[in-house]
Amino acid sequence: MTCSSCGADLAADALFCEACGAKVGSGQAPTALTVPVGATDEDSPISTPTAVRAPVEVSAPQARTCAECGGTVGADGYCESCGLKAASERDHFREAPTAWVGGVCDRGIVHTRNEDAMALWADDAAPRRAVLVVCDGVSSSKDSDVASLAGARAAREVLRPAMPQGMGTAESADAAATKVLTSAAAAANTAVVAHTDPASESPASCTFVALTIDGNLLRHANIGDSRAYWFADGGAGVQLTVDDSMAQMLMAGGTARAEAEAAPQAHAITKWLGRDSPDIVPVVGSLVVDGPGWAMACSDGLWNYASEPSAIRAQMDAAGTTDPGALALALVEFAKAAGGHDNITVALARVEP
Amino acid sequence: MADFTAAVYQNEFLADGGTDVQAIVSVTCANAGKAGQGGSGDAGEIIIIDTSGSMGVETMEGAKAAAIAALNEIVDGTWFSVISGNGAAFLAYPNVRSGPGMVRMDDRTRGEGARAINALSAAGGTVISTWLDLAGTLFASVPEVTQRHVLLLTDGENNEPASVLDAAIRRATNYYQADCRGAGTDWKVSEIRRIAQALLGTVDIIPEPAQMEAQFQEIMRASMSRGVSDAQLRVWAPQGAQVVFVRQVLPTVEDLTARRTAVNDLTGAYPTGAWSDETRDYHVSVRLPAKALGQEQLAARVQIAIGDDVKAQGLVKAKWSSDDNLTARIDSQVAHYTGQTELAAVIQEGLAAKSAGNEELATTKLGRAVQLAAETGNDEATAKLRKVVDVQDAEAGTVRLKKAVEKADEMALDTASTKTTRVRK
Repeated sequence: MTCSSCGADLAADALFCEACGAKVGSGQAPTALTVPVGATDEDSPISTPTAVRAPVEVSAPQARTCAECGGTVGADGYCESCGLKAASERDHFREAPTAWVGGVCDRGIVHTRNEDAMALWADDAAPRRAVLVVCDGVSSSKDSDVASLAGARAAREVLRPAMPQGMGTAESADAAATKVLTSAAAAANTAVVAHTDPASESPASCTFVALTIDGNLLRHANIGDSRAYWFADGGAGVQLTVDDSMAQMLMAGGTARAEAEAAPQAHAITKWLGRDSPDIVPVVGSLVVDGPGWAMACSDGLWNYASEPSAIRAQMDAAGTTDPGALALALVEFAKAAGGHDNITVALARVEP
Repeated sequence: MADFTAAVYQNEFLADGGTDVQAIVSVTCANAGKAGQGGSGDAGEIIIIDTSGSMGVETMEGAKAAAIAALNEIVDGTWFSVISGNGAAFLAYPNVRSGPGMVRMDDRTRGEGARAINALSAAGGTVISTWLDLAGTLFASVPEVTQRHVLLLTDGENNEPASVLDAAIRRATNYYQADCRGAGTDWKVSEIRRIAQALLGTVDIIPEPAQMEAQFQEIMRASMSRGVSDAQLRVWAPQGAQVVFVRQVLPTVEDLTARRTAVNDLTGAYPTGAWSDETRDYHVSVRLPAKALGQEQLAARVQIAIGDDVKAQGLVKAKWSSDDNLTARIDSQVAHYTGQTELAAVIQEGLAAKSAGNEELATTKLGRAVQLAAETGNDEATAKLRKVVDVQDAEAGTVRLKKAVEKADEMALDTASTKTTRVRK
């Protein structure tokens, strides 16, 4: 038997591929992903996104080098020399679709699996456009790692075409964009449900945050507590999204952020994607920026250690790099050094309108 | 072709700063076939019968009948010979003075072998080193034989310095395997156990001549069922790690640690001899440099190999965690076999103390043995211990030494001390 994802040999009773970490026999290898069509497309009153639903390409596995000692990683996924477990493709992956967009999705320290997911896309033609999608799988449910990645990629494909302009007015364009962002969340939900074992008593579920950059226009949509931020150069930064969480409910009731985020159940989310979700309509918003800065989508694995935008800003400044991938990695390393109690995802786009 | 599988039992979680990983690797062989028929060479059997003067008429007749019964179990085509051993070693069969010292088994040679055995008579002393050396010479005279097994019967103490016997054992080690049996109660368990352990075989007592035939049949049947002529246990440990010990723990406790030969910088090979369709468990302990919380690494790759061909592999892992619930657990297999290993040691130490006249130490050690045998469900050890001590409280390990003990019962406890049982389900 061989892994349908990377081709490595598998033990007869293997549940996961030792080489790449893909689930065995599920037909859910990353290469097999296709993007479901959003069910709400046909009744669109304005325009329908014309997504090109290309299959998602996954880089072929190659002889890997141990990150610790430089030795060769064996077929069993461990270094032949120092024995360190090589991070699987799923445990730590990076995307850099262009020079100004990059992200890192990492298992963190404490969790044994990476249930965070990330899907990025960018187009260099003016006006420069990019899509950042982050989904944070809920670890108490089964297969959340597979489902969250499928969900993030499905949403990215919906958001890849240019946003429809509607009737040409700002209100009409916003309505059309809301429609697209909502169908992106729906497509993510459909993918999550499709990757859930129908018999599962704890169906896979995840958060959702999408951030689109179109020249100087940022649009965002979220379900749960994954966030979008904007950090104008020289400014303190601003959180664009509002969490669907117990902490947020407390804050809305007047509790201070620090106190609310330390409360019991603070991290319980009140909305999510998945088979048992009662509400998959995201809260959307937009921002027109008037100068250069960083647009960021991230999971709570980062903001747990730097919730205030200024605290993240301080870490960005401390990183001392202007490369989006390197900056994202520095923020992930910061969260790991702070404890890494959750999976960590940071996706960044350098906006220079 | 034989199929091997390996399963690993361990608690892979280590506390912050933890360094020692313990695992039980259970190796199972299936479809082993018959000795000498695996295509990698022929099988050879040598039966060594003690013909020293101490062998009484009854014992000698029992030994002859047993040796003939063993001949009848040897599969046709297998090379064999018979050695008569006393103060020196004599080739009893085949009757040759030069050339190959073994013949292939068929109806004619089986009959001739039996007649040669019947003609043996007892006289002289016991110098076992000469017996072992002659067996080595005979095997070497037939290069086709690659699976070499000896069945050795003795009845008395060896009349030579221990260093001379040890040197002969060393010459035989990694060349042939030997199952050893002691007739009666005048032989020394520790002496014969040294031979059997080094030569990857078993040791046991045959108290009555009438029991010999059945035992010899069983030994030879087992040997003929070993279709895998030679396999190695290989243990890879990472750079900077130390393999603390490698022990076989099922079916018997055998410490293999000192028998390592290097395969490469990080991998050692340990001899396991020939295999039939069977399961053997190995206890491996590796000491690693501690890594940060959340890190995972491989502590050992434990493999079974025939030549350079790795047939099965088990992965022993280490994960550092701050969760005490995970790190505090001891794997039940590891705990069980740790107990069984201690059981073997305290039985041997207790009997040694008893024979040295140190009753207090003997009582403590054998008490602990009773306790461990009960805890780990080793009923055979419990039964044998009860013939040597009166048990007052098995759970607490309080015992009294019996006033009158049959020597054979004490020796049976000693020879069986290394036999282990599996974890009770």
